[in-house]
Amino acid sequence: MTDEIRFEHISMEFPGVLANDDISLSIRDGEVFALVGENGAGKSTLMNILYGINTPTAGELYVRGEKVTTFSPKAAIDRGIGMVHQHFMLVPSFTVAQNIVLGREPKNAGVLFDNRKAEKLTRELVEEYGLEVDPSAEIRDISVGLQQRVEILKTLYRGADILILDEPTAVLTPQETDELFEVIRRIVREKQMTVIIITHKLNEVMAISDRVGVMRQGKLIGVEETKNVNEKILASMMVGRPVLFDHLEKAGEPGEVAIKVDDLYVADNRGLPAVRGVSLEVKKGEVLGIAAIEGNGQSELLEAITGLRKINRGTVAVCGRDATNHTPGEIRDMGLSHVPEDRLSTGVDKLASVADNLLVGRQKEKRFNLLGFHQRRSTVERYAEELYRKFDIRGAGIHTEVGSMSGGNMQKVVVAREFTFDTPVLVISQPTRGVDIGAMEFFHTRIIEKRNEGAAILLSSADLDEVFRLSDRIITLYEGKITGEFSANAITKEEIGFYMTGSRKEGEA
Amino acid sequence: MKKRLNVGYLVALLISLAVALLIGAAILAISGHNPLVAYRALLGGAFSNGRHIGDMLEYAMVLCLCGLACDIGSRVGIFNVGGEGQLLLGAIFAAQIGVWLDGTSAWIAIPLAALGAMAVGGFYAWIPGVLKVKLKVNEVITTIMLNTVAAFLCQFLAKGPWKNANKNIVAGTGNLPSAFWFSKLVPGSNLSTAIIFSAIITFLVWYILQKTTKGYEMRLTGDNPRFALFAGLKTDRIVIITMVISGMMCGLCGMFRVYGAEHIYKSSVSNEYYFEGLMVAMIAQYQPLPTVIISLIFAILKIGAMGMETAAGVPKQLYLIIQTVVIFCMAAETGIRVAIGKAREKRQAALDIKTRREGGAAHE
Repeated sequence: MTDEIRFEHISMEFPGVLANDDISLSIRDGEVFALVGENGAGKSTLMNILYGINTPTAGELYVRGEKVTTFSPKAAIDRGIGMVHQHFMLVPSFTVAQNIVLGREPKNAGVLFDNRKAEKLTRELVEEYGLEVDPSAEIRDISVGLQQRVEILKTLYRGADILILDEPTAVLTPQETDELFEVIRRIVREKQMTVIIITHKLNEVMAISDRVGVMRQGKLIGVEETKNVNEKILASMMVGRPVLFDHLEKAGEPGEVAIKVDDLYVADNRGLPAVRGVSLEVKKGEVLGIAAIEGNGQSELLEAITGLRKINRGTVAVCGRDATNHTPGEIRDMGLSHVPEDRLSTGVDKLASVADNLLVGRQKEKRFNLLGFHQRRSTVERYAEELYRKFDIRGAGIHTEVGSMSGGNMQKVVVAREFTFDTPVLVISQPTRGVDIGAMEFFHTRIIEKRNEGAAILLSSADLDEVFRLSDRIITLYEGKITGEFSANAITKEEIGFYMTGSRKEGEA
Repeated sequence: MKKRLNVGYLVALLISLAVALLIGAAILAISGHNPLVAYRALLGGAFSNGRHIGDMLEYAMVLCLCGLACDIGSRVGIFNVGGEGQLLLGAIFAAQIGVWLDGTSAWIAIPLAALGAMAVGGFYAWIPGVLKVKLKVNEVITTIMLNTVAAFLCQFLAKGPWKNANKNIVAGTGNLPSAFWFSKLVPGSNLSTAIIFSAIITFLVWYILQKTTKGYEMRLTGDNPRFALFAGLKTDRIVIITMVISGMMCGLCGMFRVYGAEHIYKSSVSNEYYFEGLMVAMIAQYQPLPTVIISLIFAILKIGAMGMETAAGVPKQLYLIIQTVVIFCMAAETGIRVAIGKAREKRQAALDIKTRREGGAAHE
């Protein structure tokens, strides 16, 4: 086996942060290499160097023995490197085929864009690699899992034989993850591709990789053959101390009903029915988990409850008050906080500082206002510093622009803000999507703390392990309808899969 | 951190201005004019005497008010292109209120005229604001079209019901009673006490946007309306009120033009001044203080160009070319600033690693 890629003493410094510190690493031809580490460990930075987005401040990079001198994505693509980012870079209004050929479009008579040829090329790729997707569907109409396939196909279209996947499973359902791994195995086996996966899900590292490199605080801690390590070893390498997945102690009996949803009908963005006659109750002091494959109405359901989406029929009550089609602000006043599914578009102001993001919702409180209008910056900053420490947010301080932070820390900002409202009702969606082990442990503990304090929690997550770990009761949604309701300790993950895919309904089992 | 950014902004602005003037010099030289003479004439046109300085400051005031009106709109994510119409309507109503109130005390007439101008301008901005919020009608289209409606409405009023008794004035309202005129700060120029009120307004806009809780809510709304709604802000109301305030500022600016400089409503009240203010705001990236600075630069160029035409014989067309080049270069200011910042970061990073390496080696 030869070295496909060689990093030699690579360092990368951003103002105030040494993101990569003297890293030397070789990646072999035709292997699946997993790069793991906590948020901010420098994994993405290192891969961005390989993909030419970052130019290293020191050190050298060799691809197939050749020293890399120009760092640009274009040069990287020409070297056969493809990268699929955590946040997809697709044009929502274009079709799958149009997105795939973007930048290297087939032309009619050398001038006009040849859509038919684009779709034909896409279909050939789809068949060659077994990545099933409809070339003529528009991106905005297809699921996240399919969008990811389009991203992979895009790199393949450009002739990539080294594929970098940044947190590829963060947005996928268990089934989609399995399918993705199947694809990875196939392209490595049949096309001799080299695949690098950035992740922090250790079970996935064990499942898919040949070798694994662990990063911590900008340094490469070690590189191991995957078969020689286990999850526990990797976790402690990542965090720098033994990680205990504590049993989460749940205490207390459920109290009165805090969220009551009755026969709810909600449409999705295209106006098609997404939630069809859902009724549920969440009591104080319990976690109700929603298990569903992406696109089965769970997002729309939570948006409708929290006032972000119009309710067509049915009612929602929060703490005994009617919340049907009220504004998010009014529903918050009834006693509800919300950690939204998509933190970038709904949960934060990317352009504002950490302090400004933490303040949102409290800006009118007396302590932050002088004479009722002048914002007391010093009090705001003191408050932000307090939350920053309490929620262990890691970054360059409270003046950092939130958009420049890692996903996990951005989520900490959202959770810090929402959990500090101390409301009796919490709606939480995808709390640990794209979040590392240390932070995940932290969020889970916080959620159970809230539950034990008597909050009513409605939780939706694409991570089935998470739903099982945190919930007292679980409901399954399929095509906008509830297909089953279970006590969390009375059902297995395998069984629940049948209800999530609609192949079994309650009462039929 | 914040301070350093502002210095960077000023440096980049000066560089872009210098580049523009160099290109302009080349154009002047090619067309057979001595650039030094022309530029001296330009500066002379703006600064040579009190009257020129007064006119220049008055023009800067108008650009600044219009630019700030655009700034506050952009803060909540709405683009008010309709300031020209709001300004014209404010001007004509203020003028007519003055005509109606002839004989009363200036202490009654001027506040009433100001209120009237703000009410009309505000109402005229409220329409596209409501359409945008309630029906999702693009405000750029509605405001542009409403500009035309306003211009024709003013034409109609100035030629019809509110026409000046003097037959020689084809389109204009009655003369404003001299008791209501703002006092001139520089005799013979357009500069009046209106600039004091404008300075107060400028300060208020800066203060509200940068220092108050309302300004904070406005920024959240503009940055990410979905997040603002999610967080419980009444985003619809914030957008509409901001749009109305933007229109009120334009209306008041029209009133200042009439009461400070023109003393009558006629078409010279505004020669698409709002659009120049819009350009100022865009180059200033919708930030209040840069808006003030760039208003001044634009005013110097504009008033100075008249001097250049008379003193150095540079035809007006050439001045327009130079002005365009200046605008291009100043719009490139962002790029220049980013380039400066990147170069500095790189140097700093290389230095840090070096010292760290050497420091580390020394320890071993």
